Amino acid sequence: MNMDVNPECGAMLAGISAYLDGDLDATACDAIERHCRDCSRCATLVDGLRETIGLCREAGSAPLPEPVRQRAKASIERLLACENPIRS
Amino acid sequence: MSVTKLENPNPSASETDRAGYARLVTAAAGGDRDAMERLLMRAQEVAYRFSLLVCGHPQDAEDVMQDALLKTYRYVSRIKEPEAFRTWLYTTVQNACRMKRRRHVGEPAHLTSIEQGATGGDGEPGPVEVEGHSRPADQLLIDSWVSGRLRQALKALPPSYRMIVVLREMEGLSTREVANVAGISEANVKTRLHRARVMLRHAMEGV
Ligand SMILES: [Zn+2]
Repeated sequence: MNMDVNPECGAMLAGISAYLDGDLDATACDAIERHCRDCSRCATLVDGLRETIGLCREAGSAPLPEPVRQRAKASIERLLACENPIRS
Repeated sequence: MSVTKLENPNPSASETDRAGYARLVTAAAGGDRDAMERLLMRAQEVAYRFSLLVCGHPQDAEDVMQDALLKTYRYVSRIKEPEAFRTWLYTTVQNACRMKRRRHVGEPAHLTSIEQGATGGDGEPGPVEVEGHSRPADQLLIDSWVSGRLRQALKALPPSYRMIVVLREMEGLSTREVANVAGISEANVKTRLHRARVMLRHAMEGV
């Protein structure tokens, strides 16, 4: 993507991750929010990044596919049965 | 156009996870079988996700899971620093993926995706072929596991960036933990994460 030469958009882009992570102070947040009210391109980017990050976080909590989980469970049982027969 | 911040990012979430892992390791080391089983399952889950999402070699996943299982079991028996467990686990899984690639006989060198990324520094190593040769049944499982659009978009990222985004966004590691696993500074993690997010967004728009 080519963010244009508009220095305000450039500054916006540089701070956007920190903004999305809640790492910016109130003044910096305000500046970004104000900019996004007037600049639909940056506003779209912020929304897009937010969606992307949300999808990633969702994917991170996806459980293993069931057959894979079953095999993983069986491996654990085999390991604990032969390595540690006393406890169980 | 209204702009709202992300719901999370709960700043203490990754700290809690790290502490949660540490408690599980300590309990498992103390003979709590349930804790041991949960820890071993988590280790295998991490190995599965890392194999598929970072390395892009689904056919390696279950071997890497076995490796993570055995090494975690041994780690617990000689536990030193429960707090360091999570960083240790991701480093171990990353190494297992690399070793696995090295052992692949007759496979073209360009498939060693993480290696390329590691040496790529902050430059832009071109797109890397990370498609695996998994069996059809596995591919069906994978397709139903995580959004195909997201997986395709991840493949478009340079490997070193892909690892940062997966560890930070999907696995919930802290910036410091990611820095330790990737062997780069925290500032570098932040820079790469920012670029990776933007690249990922654009890749998502293209698929
Ligand atoms: Zn703008």
